[in-house]
Amino acid sequence: MALEDEGNNLRAEEMLLNVGPQHPSTHGVFRLVVKLDGEMIVESEPVIGYLHRGTEKLAEDLQYTQIIPYTDRLDYIGAMLNNYALCHTIETALDLEIPERAEYIRVIVMELNRIGSHLLAVGSYLLDLGAMSPFLYVFQERERIVQMLNQISGARLTYNYIRVGGVRLDAPPGWLDEVREFVPFMKEKVKMYDNLITGNEIFLARTKGIGVYDTETALAHSLSGINLRCTGFQWDLRRKRPYSVYDRLDFEIPVGKNGDCFDRYYLHLLEMEQSLRIIEQAVEQIPESGPVMGKVPKMIRVPKGEYYTGIEGTKGELGFYIVGDGKDKPYRMKIRRPSFVNLQLLPKLLKGENIANLIAILGAIDIVLGEVDA
Amino acid sequence: MELTRVNQLPVIEYEGFTPEENAELRRGGLVLGTLEQVKGWARSSSLWPLTFGLACCAIEMMTTGAAHYDLDRFGILFRPSPRHADVMIVAGTVTKKMAPLLRRLYDQMPEPKWVIAMGVCATAGGPYVKSYSVVKGVDQVVPVDVYIPGCPPSPPALIYGINLLQEKIRMEAKGKRVTNA
Amino acid sequence: MSDEQQQSQSPEDQSNTVKPAAPAKPAAPAKPAAAAKPKKEAPPPDPRALEAKKTADLVKQDIVEKFGDSVVLDTEAALFTPMLRIDAKAWLKVIDYVRTHQNWMLNYLVLMAGTDYPDYIEVEVRIQSTHLGHMIGFKTRTDGRDNATLPSLVSIHPGVNWEEREIYDLLGVTFTGHPDLRRIMMWEGFQGHPLRKDYNPWD
Repeated sequence: MALEDEGNNLRAEEMLLNVGPQHPSTHGVFRLVVKLDGEMIVESEPVIGYLHRGTEKLAEDLQYTQIIPYTDRLDYIGAMLNNYALCHTIETALDLEIPERAEYIRVIVMELNRIGSHLLAVGSYLLDLGAMSPFLYVFQERERIVQMLNQISGARLTYNYIRVGGVRLDAPPGWLDEVREFVPFMKEKVKMYDNLITGNEIFLARTKGIGVYDTETALAHSLSGINLRCTGFQWDLRRKRPYSVYDRLDFEIPVGKNGDCFDRYYLHLLEMEQSLRIIEQAVEQIPESGPVMGKVPKMIRVPKGEYYTGIEGTKGELGFYIVGDGKDKPYRMKIRRPSFVNLQLLPKLLKGENIANLIAILGAIDIVLGEVDA
Repeated sequence: MELTRVNQLPVIEYEGFTPEENAELRRGGLVLGTLEQVKGWARSSSLWPLTFGLACCAIEMMTTGAAHYDLDRFGILFRPSPRHADVMIVAGTVTKKMAPLLRRLYDQMPEPKWVIAMGVCATAGGPYVKSYSVVKGVDQVVPVDVYIPGCPPSPPALIYGINLLQEKIRMEAKGKRVTNA
Repeated sequence: MSDEQQQSQSPEDQSNTVKPAAPAKPAAPAKPAAAAKPKKEAPPPDPRALEAKKTADLVKQDIVEKFGDSVVLDTEAALFTPMLRIDAKAWLKVIDYVRTHQNWMLNYLVLMAGTDYPDYIEVEVRIQSTHLGHMIGFKTRTDGRDNATLPSLVSIHPGVNWEEREIYDLLGVTFTGHPDLRRIMMWEGFQGHPLRKDYNPWD
């Protein structure tokens, strides 16, 4: 499409811009080939696969407990939830009973991880939009969370903590008190972030009304998590397909109103508040002592058949699909990754937008490349 | 006429000069030797890495650069463009699809440049060494100066690795070639 | 054959009355206690599995009314989820039908996965109904592994676009009617399909 400007005989053409795999935004190696007409995006095409490490193929060669460290590295910001998703599928397949204390520790640890992940999402979204300070602030709070998770599991990022039948080790003495003190501290901080960011005019101008879609589109494209709830549709797997002890805990599901980028950002803050509520209740309800590992056979063998469970991960519905055949290694393990599915809507959202809105929309979808590529 | 002790003194190779010119410069001795060391000090105290976070190690790199463990106190400023960068910290798994791009970015960096392989995936393939799509160590693609093990290496480990690189730059400026710490 | 299956399969599958005709799955060695807990020889089938089988049969009835008998080849309960096996040629029509059928309203596709078996490639889809709250699975098989083709579901569930591309890339199933079938995880020009069992990385 070549345009001509009569006066100066200017000729304008479409340009292909490569938002390359290496770029300053923090999502990872994600490439977006964008066809531009001036500053309008005509067409865009995401290219992924730069971090495809073949986890699914490797899993066919490993025993079930050996796969758990690999699941850490899928959504590496919320590693505990990935661990739990795999263990939940295996436990459902084998119909195992998990001790109470283990379930409560799992919930506390998963919700702490969810808060950490949402903090990082907010911080990196604002870094993409050009604001440097929230990025530094979130890492302070995240450091506190990561230290707590380090004490209980031994690692800072890839925990490998939740095992089939329970958790690896019990909480060290004093850990629950630390968590109990953390909750009011974090509530103050969430209010601080709200004050710092939400009313900022530049931020509002850049995110309100950008990247809007409705529930029909979201359901047709199989979106889940915050991307689905921002349209106003209440769909949270902790309520719809309850797992672990979430049915004993009282929390709300925040939903958005307009389905734009601002709603998606704001839902991160609201979900952090709800996670803090969950942690508070879990710390009250946890039994004082008890086993943290249920009765699990020495060699875990999943019987023949197909099994799938999905949990509410930080980015959406995270599920593991295992085809077992009675051996101690899976015949096929497929991972239903929320970022992979959520990202498919991007070309549609970008059509006709200004290029300046590209980063705002991409950041609000909140992807983690480890999960997109697996 | 060669003095026997001259062979034992550290010999400094100046970049971009022919061997005869090098010999001339070496006879300059004290002044130019010190100049090399000043250059080494300047380069090591203000390393500007290229933001090349690929996978989980990138999060630890961001954590190290952020508030609690600060990298700015070492003079480190993350640059998005390879033309402005000194060192490339390869943080994460390098896949076969990404390897040509990594090489291209390395070639776009101006001399002098260094590479830090952060994490076991960049060092030798890591937990994904048996995978069909992973390059088993980034040193198959670019020459590496410092390897930092860990999965992911904790921020103090990354800071230690960067300090080792700074020492290596300063030692090499004195004329000693550093291959292991 | 049924003895070995009784021994080696978990109690839920014992409610299957219609078994897929001798699938050439790698035969699981008959283990006396395939599930975790040591079980007695013939435990009663789990009521949830029976429920699921009943639901699967009801779905089968609805589909068979519309499309004829040959379309649904099998119904079973994959651990409390009703599962139907559909003929490959009617794949698109059946999934479209249950999306708008007032009993089922399966509008939210949750999972699409492909598995490589020695004789065929099986693609399974799990769809959830956001209005009625149930999840039903459908599977289909390609005939043979060379030139495996299936109709594409992109026109009715746009969210499977990349899932189908991934199955094409890693398993080699061509989806007819897909708007943009290219390799997604591996680079263009890569030979072979990595997730197949006979993939050799050294050739």
